[in-house]
Amino acid sequence: MSQQDAVRLAHQATFGPTEALVADMQTKTAADWVAQQMAATGSRYGSGGGDVVHKYTEQGGTYCDTAAGKAIPNCWRDLYSSWPLMGDFYKNAVNNGDQLRQRVAYALKQIVVISAVDIEGTYGMRNYNNMLLDNAFGNYRDVLKKVTLSPVMGDYLSNSNNDKASPNENYARELLQLFSIGTCELNLDGTLKTGKCVPTYNNENVREYAYALTGWTYPAGGASPWGCWPQGTNCRYYTGDMVSVAAMHDTQARKLLPVTKTVPANTAAPQALELVLDSLMAHPNTAPFIGKQLIQHLVTSNPSPAYVQRVAQAFSAGKFASFGAGRNGDLAATVAAVLLDTEARSTQPARTFGRLREPVQMFTSTLRALNGKTDGEILGWWWGETLSQHIFRPPTVFNYYPPDYPVAGTPLVGPAFAIHNANTAIERINFLSYMNWVSTASDQANAATKFNLQPFVDAYTADLGASPADATAKLVDRLSMLAVGAPLPATARSEAIRAVDAWTQNNAGDSWRSYRVQQAVTMVFGSPQFAIVR
Amino acid sequence: MKANPLSMNRRQLLRLSALSTAALGLGGVGGLMMSTRSARAQAADYKALVCIFLYGGNDSLNTITPTDATRYKQYADVRKTLALPQSSLVALGNSEYGLHPSLAALKPVWDAGKLAPVFNVGPLFSPLTKDQYRKEPETSDLIPDALFSHSDQQVLWESSTTESVTRTGWGGRTSEAMQLASPVVSVGGNGRFGVGALQVPLVLPGWPGASLKVDGFSSQWQPQQVGEQAMRAMYGAPQDSDLADAFTRQQRFAFEVSSRLTSVLEITPGGTGATAAIDNAFASLITPPANGNQGTLKTDLSQQLYQIAKLIAANDRVQGTRQIYFAQIGGFDTHDNQIGDTVLNGRHAELLKELGDAVAAFYNAMAGIGYGDKVTTFTQSDFGRTFTPNNNRGTDHGWGGHHLVLGGAVKGGTTYGEYPALVLGGPDDVGVDAWELQGRWIPKIGVDQYAATLLNWFGAGAVLDTALPNLKNFPTRTIGFV
Repeated sequence: MSQQDAVRLAHQATFGPTEALVADMQTKTAADWVAQQMAATGSRYGSGGGDVVHKYTEQGGTYCDTAAGKAIPNCWRDLYSSWPLMGDFYKNAVNNGDQLRQRVAYALKQIVVISAVDIEGTYGMRNYNNMLLDNAFGNYRDVLKKVTLSPVMGDYLSNSNNDKASPNENYARELLQLFSIGTCELNLDGTLKTGKCVPTYNNENVREYAYALTGWTYPAGGASPWGCWPQGTNCRYYTGDMVSVAAMHDTQARKLLPVTKTVPANTAAPQALELVLDSLMAHPNTAPFIGKQLIQHLVTSNPSPAYVQRVAQAFSAGKFASFGAGRNGDLAATVAAVLLDTEARSTQPARTFGRLREPVQMFTSTLRALNGKTDGEILGWWWGETLSQHIFRPPTVFNYYPPDYPVAGTPLVGPAFAIHNANTAIERINFLSYMNWVSTASDQANAATKFNLQPFVDAYTADLGASPADATAKLVDRLSMLAVGAPLPATARSEAIRAVDAWTQNNAGDSWRSYRVQQAVTMVFGSPQFAIVR
Repeated sequence: MKANPLSMNRRQLLRLSALSTAALGLGGVGGLMMSTRSARAQAADYKALVCIFLYGGNDSLNTITPTDATRYKQYADVRKTLALPQSSLVALGNSEYGLHPSLAALKPVWDAGKLAPVFNVGPLFSPLTKDQYRKEPETSDLIPDALFSHSDQQVLWESSTTESVTRTGWGGRTSEAMQLASPVVSVGGNGRFGVGALQVPLVLPGWPGASLKVDGFSSQWQPQQVGEQAMRAMYGAPQDSDLADAFTRQQRFAFEVSSRLTSVLEITPGGTGATAAIDNAFASLITPPANGNQGTLKTDLSQQLYQIAKLIAANDRVQGTRQIYFAQIGGFDTHDNQIGDTVLNGRHAELLKELGDAVAAFYNAMAGIGYGDKVTTFTQSDFGRTFTPNNNRGTDHGWGGHHLVLGGAVKGGTTYGEYPALVLGGPDDVGVDAWELQGRWIPKIGVDQYAATLLNWFGAGAVLDTALPNLKNFPTRTIGFV
């Protein structure tokens, strides 16, 4: 791979290029690198407390109000909230080698969404996110099964303890709408069947699926001061899969999609679930619906229909070149098809190609490029909230943004543009200013999230000594080659050099070289070329 | 780019302190007012529309409920444990309806004749009978796309169309058709409502005191000035992709807005530049400044509406004499545990309390700055919820729902539209067969008619059919509530 190819693939398949990663990628073909990445493991979620929050029986509040809980510092934060997992997420993303696995898990996480806005219980969210890492290159049917049986999802979308008498439709509806087939009939290439929305299902179908999915309760192991409600169910508990409760499971015959498929009368809940999953995996929408979203998360917001079709074919065949086990829904085959497609790898991308780098990936890719470190803390309640992407806390099951958000003034969609606006446009720049400051201010030596710009300052200092006339251009180009794989366009490049050179010993004192590097960082990582991943 | 460490520390502190304001206590604000500056010179002909979107689908049956004996019994028989006790409803005088007790703050607005409930509104292509609904194929134009789906029904409400692929919102289209000086101003995110064909909504921070400053801009320090120039030049250059061009347009727009509106956005309750009439109206929702902390508001929606109140008071800076605002409150998707340990508390009650208190404060603030009859506030929501509760003490997705409109120009103190017949399988229920008897109401008033009524008052009469392309399908174009 060339430098530009490697940087482009790194933006699509990792949490951001580093100089070392790009150097390594340049020694390989894209396919070989992807294959190696699929074999890599290592990232886990391990922080936070255990299941005690769902095992106590003392009256009078949460576990943190009990004698044992009061003895735990930061009890709510560490046992109930997603805060510990945020540290895991950002540390893994910035430091670990299994980058593609993490990126795909992150994409899946934004399709089969749970949120700490509504879920409390760190250990449960930890289980769920480890499951996504484990299944990133597995089969989408297994993902759907684990998601459906997850007690966290059961709690989040009301399918735990859903009873055949007046079941709620929450999970059944979102399983169809968001996790598998979508609301409109699609061609294999992801376009609407007739150019308009022909509904894939109606409300009767939703109710039939809801009935078929009744009769699940939490795994055994939980306890509660208030007892377990309703009778015959297990208390809320987030370790393991949900278990079936025959008395709550509907046993009438239920029609699935298409109408020729049914759950026969007197089918037990586990078998009914298998039939439900079979119907969804066999539905012609699933491959293009999920495949297109993976393209949007990894590569480009507006893939050509032909690209979607190639990915959907890989999803259905379970095979792409040497990738995949040959079973419908294979994610290794699908991800390989997404990343190795000619449209993804083109060195002359169309004007419509690309995607807005979302805030989480801006955090990770700046930190990775600039030798940074993080414990995640400031990237959640502070910068995550400021930029509308607080990891683990999407507002609803509809994620931070919809896949079809329109970009005004164009005919295109741009999912991440749904959280980009005048306010966040300014805050993206302020994030870079803040990071430059915290990384270099003398009283911020212990900051847990910072860049390490010193290698760039040292190289620049040496270049100034060797060839002062070229040194600034070399600095700006070095950062550009890392950030976007090529020098900035002429205007941005000359403006960046001018702005960098404006800092002198006269106006900035002894730190002038450091300020120059910071200025270069602001221009390169604030550039439209970095914001729009192409 | 230095990086003024002092200013950075201060910004950081302000942000972090704002996150922990819930811990602070309550107190009066009267004595703390730094400024009693009256509202800016009023434009003789100024009007604003304020949309509050209730995301998740509000259970409007438990928002406004019939109080007459016959229908209350029909309601209670089906709603069972979710039924609000008749005695708890806040009676709306001279009507057969009562509000959820959490909305008590709106009773004085009703009494003043400035609150208009509008019944059974929802996305419609044209007036639709139950018979048509049952007979038309699902692909018929008469059946709105993806009924009962959150994301799609949000799009249909925000766009006032029946096609879920619609890109633009009715606020955005109105702004473009009227060539308003300002796009839709949102303090509640990028919702489709404010998106135009060419124009993005102006999305501002949702809480008072949040800055819109670019660090290092407007500096007196020469190298920072060069840095600002360089950045502006970089974003001024044509790009090699459509998304990058959209990105740089947003960036340039943000810089322009930053210099124009930062001073308004930075005003906090009881702080420098605060308007006494606004602070007084929001007093019960304000935690006043103390111990070096800024004054803050206690709920998310009150923060947003306080922002809008400030912007309307400073409407000359927002620009133009017609302005459309957008705020939002989420969490209404009450599939389970809609109620708490009694029907009078729990999630839905808390959400309506946040809504009612904030909206009443905003209404009073507008009256207080002399803008009472210039500002009309209205709700939208994904859908109403099923009449029949489910087995998890919740309700599922419906279609038509009831909405609230208030403001000095509103012809309130009376209700508009027909409350659905509270009969499962009845004339307003989409259902006939046993499996579908949940009470999902076929709307009697289209979003187009609801929007047209608001826009007609707003002065958009000449562009109604551009802003609302399906309005032509309705023989009755406006409902007359304002």
